[in-house]
Amino acid sequence: MSEKFKVLYYVNQFFGQVGGEDKAGMPPEYRPQKVGPAMGFEGALRGEGEVVGTIICGDNYFNEHQKESLDFIKKTVKEASPDVVVAGPAFNAGRYGMACGELAKAMAEELALPVVTGMYAENPGVDVCKNKAIVVGTSDSAAGMRKALPAMAAITVKLAKGIELGAPEKEGYIARGMRKTLFEEKRGSLRAVSMLLARLKGEEFETELPMPVFDQVEPAPAIRDLSKATVALCTSGGIVPQGNPDGIQSASAQKWGKYDVSGLDGLPAPGFYSTHGGYDTAYANENPNRVAPLDLLKEFAKEGVIGKVFDWFFTTTGTGTSVSNAQKFGKEIGAILKEAGVDGVILTST
Amino acid sequence: MQRTIVTNNPAVWDKYSANALFIEGSAEQVLIRVRDMVHQGYELISHPLPASLRIMFSPYRSVIIGEKRGAADHLEAEIAEESIWKYRQKMSSREIDAGNNADYRLIDLLLLDAALKEDQGGGQPPG
Amino acid sequence: MKLEIGRINIKDIQFGDGTFVQDGVLTVDREGLTAFLKEDERVAGVRLDIARPGEKVRIIPVKDVVEPRVKIEGTGAGFPGVTAKPSQCGQGRTHVLYGAAVVTVGDIVGFQEGVIDMWGEGGRWTPFSKTCNVTLDLQVVDGLDTHTHEETIRLAGLRAAEFIGLAGRGAEPDEVLTYEMGGIFEETEKYPNLPKVLYAEMMITQGLLHDTYIYGVNAQTILPALMHPHEELDGAVISGNCVAACDKITTYQHQNNSVILDLFAQHGKEINFMGVVMVPEHTTLSGKLRASDYTLKLAQMLGADAVVVSEEGYGNPDSDLLMICKKCENAGIKTVLITDECAGRDGMSQGLADTASEAVAVVSTGNVSHVVTLAPAERVIGNPESIAVLAGGWKGALLEDGTLMCELNAVIGSTSEIGYHHVTCRQY
Repeated sequence: MSEKFKVLYYVNQFFGQVGGEDKAGMPPEYRPQKVGPAMGFEGALRGEGEVVGTIICGDNYFNEHQKESLDFIKKTVKEASPDVVVAGPAFNAGRYGMACGELAKAMAEELALPVVTGMYAENPGVDVCKNKAIVVGTSDSAAGMRKALPAMAAITVKLAKGIELGAPEKEGYIARGMRKTLFEEKRGSLRAVSMLLARLKGEEFETELPMPVFDQVEPAPAIRDLSKATVALCTSGGIVPQGNPDGIQSASAQKWGKYDVSGLDGLPAPGFYSTHGGYDTAYANENPNRVAPLDLLKEFAKEGVIGKVFDWFFTTTGTGTSVSNAQKFGKEIGAILKEAGVDGVILTST
Repeated sequence: MQRTIVTNNPAVWDKYSANALFIEGSAEQVLIRVRDMVHQGYELISHPLPASLRIMFSPYRSVIIGEKRGAADHLEAEIAEESIWKYRQKMSSREIDAGNNADYRLIDLLLLDAALKEDQGGGQPPG
Repeated sequence: MKLEIGRINIKDIQFGDGTFVQDGVLTVDREGLTAFLKEDERVAGVRLDIARPGEKVRIIPVKDVVEPRVKIEGTGAGFPGVTAKPSQCGQGRTHVLYGAAVVTVGDIVGFQEGVIDMWGEGGRWTPFSKTCNVTLDLQVVDGLDTHTHEETIRLAGLRAAEFIGLAGRGAEPDEVLTYEMGGIFEETEKYPNLPKVLYAEMMITQGLLHDTYIYGVNAQTILPALMHPHEELDGAVISGNCVAACDKITTYQHQNNSVILDLFAQHGKEINFMGVVMVPEHTTLSGKLRASDYTLKLAQMLGADAVVVSEEGYGNPDSDLLMICKKCENAGIKTVLITDECAGRDGMSQGLADTASEAVAVVSTGNVSHVVTLAPAERVIGNPESIAVLAGGWKGALLEDGTLMCELNAVIGSTSEIGYHHVTCRQY
């Protein structure tokens, strides 16, 4: 029997069985054993490979100390010298997904190691690494673990043995965005005619050159008289009142907040600050109006340029936030603004 | 109708120097200059890219530019931008084919001649 | 209009006395053909050869491929307007030496590429590894300018196909394909409920080495022209295109245009196939705007419900393709586009610029930058130095044992944008 290939596993604090949100700040640590999903994963390798160890890292720690985390992981990987690195599955957990994604990207780019991970298609971590690593498509919650592990294991076996992967839909991974050249049974013209017939009959057809899809939002009509308009302010720059009373996440936001600013001339520091991960918040914390310019809006209201600034200020964190959450937040905030008769909203990002 | 040929092809320069802008540089630099001019409002007369991949490897490129107008044309600006993008994408895995320079100079000139002829017969009032 | 194509199946070719077919073997009179070609005083020398499927033979650089044929009944003998007097193509009976091809070889300029491997890995990528090829390597007299040089070789290929095609005169076809299509009103009356479909065939028409001819007319000068599908199948269109090896439409592919054939197969069943619009690809933007407007107008005049659009080449013609697509889709005419793509060596750089939101139905005929590895040939027909051109432009492409790594770019017909071959790209 040939020697087993070696896998190094990565999980977050929760799947590493250290703890929940309260342990999300834990720095990475290495355990020379199988922890959490690594056990089920090794079983799915059917004896062809073994998990030599597990790295556990808190989601917040990774996202807030990416460089340190990656340095630790790289060092560990070099020592353990695995054939494949496996991370997750992260399902639809944004911070976990970002960690798996960044890790996968770093391993592939810097150490030229094959990496297999698993995520829900809308996890923001997918776009970080899908062209560098193999991301198995999973369901949006940990209920999909039993399906995800065998698919990840099967792909890991192939990568370890240098076997070429089949089509994404067949192997269960999210397309890397690679255009693979191959032969079709039907010649091109016949495929064109088949596609034409399907289109003419209103049947489903699949283009062979899919285009990137952009979510196009129809802009609202211009405000006719700004001097009578109520204008609201909304940011995804993570500006929150001191103490972050609603606990808005620093990345992969699960919620948004609204705060009464009717009595303020602007967003004062240190009364407000940015809880946003992923950018240097020093300047935002020095003056939060740099991210959400409430001061200028209030001035405009005083000068009569606009009618009024809406009493409530809306905020969330943009980084790593899934498209579905962002859409949900937008609809919820939009409904409130509409209900209140707000005429316009200024949206700022970072 | 004023026409300017942006070119890095000495053979084109020899023939059309009265109406040419010579770029001392690569084909990509020709495309970039064309793009800049289009953004400044000059009319883009000929498409900056050739019609075949082999000619894409040519070290020479000649593009016809028209008069300067008030503002840049959106379609022309898009074509000029995409041409650079597409050229770089294609050339990222290639090197310029330098072994056949004389032939590339000649074909670039002949294709330019054809484009100028097409331009004259293209429903433009004589200038 | 009724056209009968009588196929005489050819399984092998040999040189001999006289030109005739016997038991599927085509015999070609070498001296006769040479003398015939030398009637053109610009031809200094002729090297004839044969390349059979499976032989370890590489043909390079290929200029054009032509199917040998002969007119048995009706007008349109030869290539009207080019090798013969103008007359109407697309009717009567034509005999085809099916499985045989004339392949013209030789460089007009030093950077030409275009390879046909008759065997192995290389053979998979080109449709012309399946045909028995008579190759024609021509030397021209000194002092010809490039235009005349190109024309001389182009005409020699067509004339050789005519000369060899004569062998089909006395032979009994193994199969007769009948194409019949009446006037547009007649067909619409016959199939009132079938969707009306037009084929817009784009052609490279931009000058030397980049030309297409219809009845001998250089299509650079035309407005998009409506043709009966039979005409192209019967020799009305020829290629003067010596670059774009992978995606040019050779004369052979015009004679056997696969889009026309596959649309024909649905005519009267699922669709009402109304005809072919030959669309010139201009160099100037005004030319592109005009040609795309005119194509839409023809489609609207004919009341087309849908148009299949095929491109020729890569680069500036992509603009024409998208203009036609956008204009048709916005006018409510459904389109299906056929094009190849340039996704880089590793397939990771998808061409954003190749797409438009209106292009919802696209057939991809492959990544032109895909790298193929071609084993050394036992025999090279043409110019072995051209192999270095194929490999040119990137280091390490020509290995010491003669193995060649090249992009699909260089392989004749590999990414045919009339969908003549089977290569495609899929999202992985």
